[in-house]
Amino acid sequence: MFEPPIQRLIDELARLPGIGRKSAQRLAFHLLTVEEEDARRLSRAILEMREQVRLCRRCFNVTDSDECSICRDLRRDATLVCVVERPQDIVVVERSREFRGRYHVLGGAVSPIEGIGPERLRFRELVERVRTEGITEVIIATNPSVEGDATALYLAKVLKPEGVKVTRLASGLPVGGDLDYADELTLGRALVGRQEM
Amino acid sequence: MALRNDQGIVLRSYPFGEADRVVVLLSPSHGKIRAVAKGVRKTTSRFGGRLEPFTQVDLVLYEGRGLGIITQVSVIEAFPHLRGDLERLLAAGTMAEVIDAVTEEGEGSARAFLLLHRGLHALEAGPRHPDLMTAFLLKVADVVGVAPALDECAGCGTREGVTRFSFAAGGALCPRCRTPAAVALRAGLTAYLARLAAADLSDLPPPDPSFSGEAMGVTRRFLEYHLDRRLESLASADV
Repeated sequence: MFEPPIQRLIDELARLPGIGRKSAQRLAFHLLTVEEEDARRLSRAILEMREQVRLCRRCFNVTDSDECSICRDLRRDATLVCVVERPQDIVVVERSREFRGRYHVLGGAVSPIEGIGPERLRFRELVERVRTEGITEVIIATNPSVEGDATALYLAKVLKPEGVKVTRLASGLPVGGDLDYADELTLGRALVGRQEM
Repeated sequence: MALRNDQGIVLRSYPFGEADRVVVLLSPSHGKIRAVAKGVRKTTSRFGGRLEPFTQVDLVLYEGRGLGIITQVSVIEAFPHLRGDLERLLAAGTMAEVIDAVTEEGEGSARAFLLLHRGLHALEAGPRHPDLMTAFLLKVADVVGVAPALDECAGCGTREGVTRFSFAAGGALCPRCRTPAAVALRAGLTAYLARLAAADLSDLPPPDPSFSGEAMGVTRRFLEYHLDRRLESLASADV
């Protein structure tokens, strides 16, 4: 046991994901050696993030205002919506620089094994957006896992009757990979989704 | 500290650390196995889709202290079609959940393995039979030793007048053995359940829509009562 102020910080740090007792101790003692202003900046950053960040009222991305910067951007194509599981996934799709539409964050995936049904996700909000925002295509960007597959199938089921085009990201071989190492499921999907050249 | 070969069906997996997953598999000889698949969440992982739920695989495991580590995987059967259909995918999820609930680590479970294998085969083969899940759950009850008495009284064994059904007493009851909690079932339902319990999962008798819903309800409640847990995936399967 350390002196109470140090022990308190170690206990708090150790509650963070991926940080054990030893790492928490190292971080705490590191913070003890940095400039006081650096420590203040860190604590301010944590507090400000908690106070200012909320969910975009349109797409449920994280934002510091009523709508996120992507929804506010008038240059983006409002008829295209990319559906992702978590806000972090938006950054990944943005990095591809191939998508210029808007997003919709579901807040998770349907899990047939854990019993997470669509009622726990933002399906209803998406259907409402399709009805009111003139969306013509919904691109499903859920993970290519059992949960992502189930979510995509559910989405297609509820969106098709709305008369909107529903597409899903292609599954296949990773760029730079070796055909030798491809597994049956991935290769099977790559064959089904092959494109004419 | 050794390498060993095994085979199994992937029941589920959950994220572990930065890019790994703990995979839960059912092996016929070693029961439930939990092992780490390193880097499997990266798109460049050499495991790729081989460790997705419902895949039957051959594996090489490195067993040290704590969780084993999967070092090689090859697919025996991938059941690719059941992933393209919501109903079949949800049914496979329920099968995996139930089998996960009734098996233990380190205890051979060849019967549970074969049952899951047959269930997935039946789903992969074509559209889901309306009674497939009911038949599967009845067979699970048999594998864990709580099969309900259906065509004879659970109390005295008589085949005459078994019109009541009790979850606690283990199935159908005659008027002499009936308990206060025993409920009256529609005539013919226990016989319908008995036919399903005895049938092959890939060759079930033609469904009777007037019995299917009730048969599922009774079987589900019976199994939930004896396993003492709610079957979560069945709740979300009601689409």
